Amino acid sequence: MSNALTLDEVDNGGAILEALDKVGDDSRVGFLKKSAVAAGGIVGGGAILGALATPAHAATANDVAILNFALTLEYLEAEFYTEAERIGALRGRVLAFAKVVGAHERAHVAFLKKALGSAAVKKPTFNFRGTTESEAKFKATAQVLEDTGVKAYKGQAPLIDSDAVLAAALSVHSVEARHAAWIRHINGAPPAPNAFDPAATKQQILQAVAGTKFITAAPVMTAPGRSPRFTG
Amino acid sequence: MLVAFAAFVAIAYGREPAAGVPTGVVLPTIPSSASRETASVAGAAGSSTPVALSSANGVSRYMAVAEPVAARAQPSVSAPVVGRLSTRTPEGTTNAVLALARVERGGMLWIKARLPVLPNNTVGWIPRASLGGYNSVNTRVVIDTTKLTLTLFRFGKPIFAARVGVGQAQWPTPRGKFYIRNKLTRYSSPMYGPVAFGTSARSAVLTDWPAGGYVGIHGTNQPALIPGRISHGCVRMRNTDILRLADLMQPGTPLTIE
Repeated sequence: MSNALTLDEVDNGGAILEALDKVGDDSRVGFLKKSAVAAGGIVGGGAILGALATPAHAATANDVAILNFALTLEYLEAEFYTEAERIGALRGRVLAFAKVVGAHERAHVAFLKKALGSAAVKKPTFNFRGTTESEAKFKATAQVLEDTGVKAYKGQAPLIDSDAVLAAALSVHSVEARHAAWIRHINGAPPAPNAFDPAATKQQILQAVAGTKFITAAPVMTAPGRSPRFTG
Repeated sequence: MLVAFAAFVAIAYGREPAAGVPTGVVLPTIPSSASRETASVAGAAGSSTPVALSSANGVSRYMAVAEPVAARAQPSVSAPVVGRLSTRTPEGTTNAVLALARVERGGMLWIKARLPVLPNNTVGWIPRASLGGYNSVNTRVVIDTTKLTLTLFRFGKPIFAARVGVGQAQWPTPRGKFYIRNKLTRYSSPMYGPVAFGTSARSAVLTDWPAGGYVGIHGTNQPALIPGRISHGCVRMRNTDILRLADLMQPGTPLTIE
């Protein structure tokens, strides 16, 4: 059995934009526009914490873009674990994993939002399409998310401008790697399959996120300007 | 990577990988020990038994209808259809259902939901894949057609109450379990006041009313008539009250009319 879902094969630019066009959600397009401002790309899976103590550390446009993409991925991960925990499909060690990792991801979200202040992207709307509602699907998905986060950081860390941001990224990258090893152990996959982890580019991560279709348009529940036709 | 993810998604969603996925793509597999654990856990957790998604005094969940779909009497594609759902309401908002429970049958996830269809109080089972993500609310609203009151609860505790007008005897406000479908604002219909909430309740009498005879909760240009039995089935509130309610209550909130 292999453990690997590699990120090495992505070569198709534009898929994420196609997905976004289908969704047509302003907030979702907005976060990608913000996150793609500079050449920085992303820090995956919760990569900024610890040494990054104040918003001032995220001064460059490049680092703001990096932080915002990290925040988006953290939103995704935090929501995934939170929903899985609350929906009640997990038991035993898998539930324990979801609780601990979910708490980590929520802490990452809180920190990134504080670090970014008003520059923080809004939380997208998610549809995990049943992967939080079945333990088997949850475990497979969690492994992919964690592996992806680790590889994303690996690929983008060299592009970070600020030493403080980089130091924080390293502190969280190792935590994400622990998450990946933990869920791999639960799944019976090798926790540390390689001596050297491959990197992932921003494009590869965007493709991967789009491929899950976990980020969706928010339901439109209000209609300003539409006259009621209720019975009155 | 793209094909790998596509294949992963197919596996994760319980579908066969799409044609064209190279056979060399490595997919995550659940080891036999984990499969046994999953099976035993599933039995213990009752995944084949409906699991509640909304509670009376806690969090309730609503889900968008992602594609036109038939709701069925049982979680089975061969069960009788109890309602057909579109993706949009007559007001143009996202059509949503109140999620009551989930169950897995034959590898397929189903959601038991309260439906915006006649007869009132209809519930049905919808394939999970036809619905959007979970959205949560922590409020519920109760309308007492005897005492002519509306009470909003948050986590089971009352946080707002007001007197209301309800349907006249010939056009009664329907009783039962419903939910708030949408919120309309900035329209120019004074008789509805400044804000109108759409509900999943429908008049059982005015079935030929435009847009299906859905019951709303809205303001009024005749506040002196409240409280009273004054409407065609809608719940009318004084404008100050509906504005306050609009600040506190979001669409998706469960509604009880008693």
